[in-house]
Amino acid sequence: MKSKMLGVITLVIIFIVAASFKFFQEPKPWPVPDKYNKMPNPVKNEAASISAGKAIWAKHCQSCHGKTGKGDGTKAAELDTHPGDFTQASTQSETDGALFYKTSEGRKDMPSFKKKIPDEEDIWNVINYIRTFKK
Amino acid sequence: MKTHIIINYRIIITAFIVLCLLFITPGFGQTDQQQNAQSQNDEQPTASPKSSARKPVKNTFESIWILDNQTVMVPIKKTFELDFMHRFGTIDNGYQDFFGLFAGTNIRFGFNYVPIDKLLVGVSFTEYNLTWEGYAKYALLKQTQGGSIPVSVSYYVNAAVDTKKQGDYPHSSDRWMFFHQLLIARKISDKFSFQVAPSLTHVNSVQGFYTGDTTADGKSVLEKEMHHDHFAIAFSGKVKLSNTLGLLLNYDQPITKHNVNNPNPNLSAGLEINTSSHTFQILLGNYHYITPSRNNYYNHNNYKDGQWLIGFNLTRLWNF
Repeated sequence: MKSKMLGVITLVIIFIVAASFKFFQEPKPWPVPDKYNKMPNPVKNEAASISAGKAIWAKHCQSCHGKTGKGDGTKAAELDTHPGDFTQASTQSETDGALFYKTSEGRKDMPSFKKKIPDEEDIWNVINYIRTFKK
Repeated sequence: MKTHIIINYRIIITAFIVLCLLFITPGFGQTDQQQNAQSQNDEQPTASPKSSARKPVKNTFESIWILDNQTVMVPIKKTFELDFMHRFGTIDNGYQDFFGLFAGTNIRFGFNYVPIDKLLVGVSFTEYNLTWEGYAKYALLKQTQGGSIPVSVSYYVNAAVDTKKQGDYPHSSDRWMFFHQLLIARKISDKFSFQVAPSLTHVNSVQGFYTGDTTADGKSVLEKEMHHDHFAIAFSGKVKLSNTLGLLLNYDQPITKHNVNNPNPNLSAGLEINTSSHTFQILLGNYHYITPSRNNYYNHNNYKDGQWLIGFNLTRLWNF
């Protein structure tokens, strides 16, 4: 009887520990329309733009994507899909236009920022800031 | 009964000088970013400096609230905002009510929406006297990056009705108070924004008292304790400490002098934390009522007597 009880308690503990871990889904491919892939960044990548982008990043992006873009923000663990490591080539090899499309349109966990960041110039500023994460 | 409104002219002159400084100081309104953007435009003849210069300055304030006052800010069209505000009791009882945190509190829920560009409308419900408010704010002018418009100006109007069941009001119209405020702000640098906000409060019902004098026909002279109209002015500032943290400062000065029960000024300071959808402000100040007309007209907490209270404002934004 005692060993049966111990077995049940052990199973319950294993279940609680297992349930407390977050298992991210593998990110599915995110196709970008050609129009956006080829879209040039109209905002020059320089100090003023990066500084403006950094301020917007801190307010809107950092909680999920992390301070340095590694996808380790305080809310990242609550997401179904890992927000990605922006320091790596998987993000840095994308065109500015593709990043603009993904930021403004969003998908599932990633919200659309068209309304939260209504001035397109600000989204381009964020993209210029994302380029500073490149390793 | 003839109404005498005595106004403290020194305060008006001070406010006028501050306003003049805001308008005329050269380069005063250009943020670092704007100055950089301008120099960038100078270097790039292909860019469009005119369109950039005419763009409105961003983030003069991060929220529609700066502690107990409105800011010039009107969120973008189709934004819905929920406000949750709390004012605790005064801290002067110390440990007995844990610095006011366990004393009588005042709570307000506000629901705001921006149906068209530049116009915010809202309704709120405040615990004190079960006060309902309807209000609107319209952005009349927006400061531009190039400085062609040196300040942002918004007009705020608020009607409040006391719905508590009590016998003090012979007529239902006596329950109403009205508040008008002109909000004039300037983003002085990337780190500092300042706002001057003159206001007029109108209270429908005021108390009277007998002076002890009699008229020629032997009737007792009745005077009003306070005038129906009350002018005041608020000075508010935001210092940006980081991209998500700001220091807020505010001072409200009553202008109209009443026969008795003159309201006290309000001095407040707080910290503001911003995220994508939330703004959180924690503050120490003197205003308890949250409703702007009541704050300006009835505040009897005096900072000189240590009657400070802790409060917070929490806002949540949704974009549709």
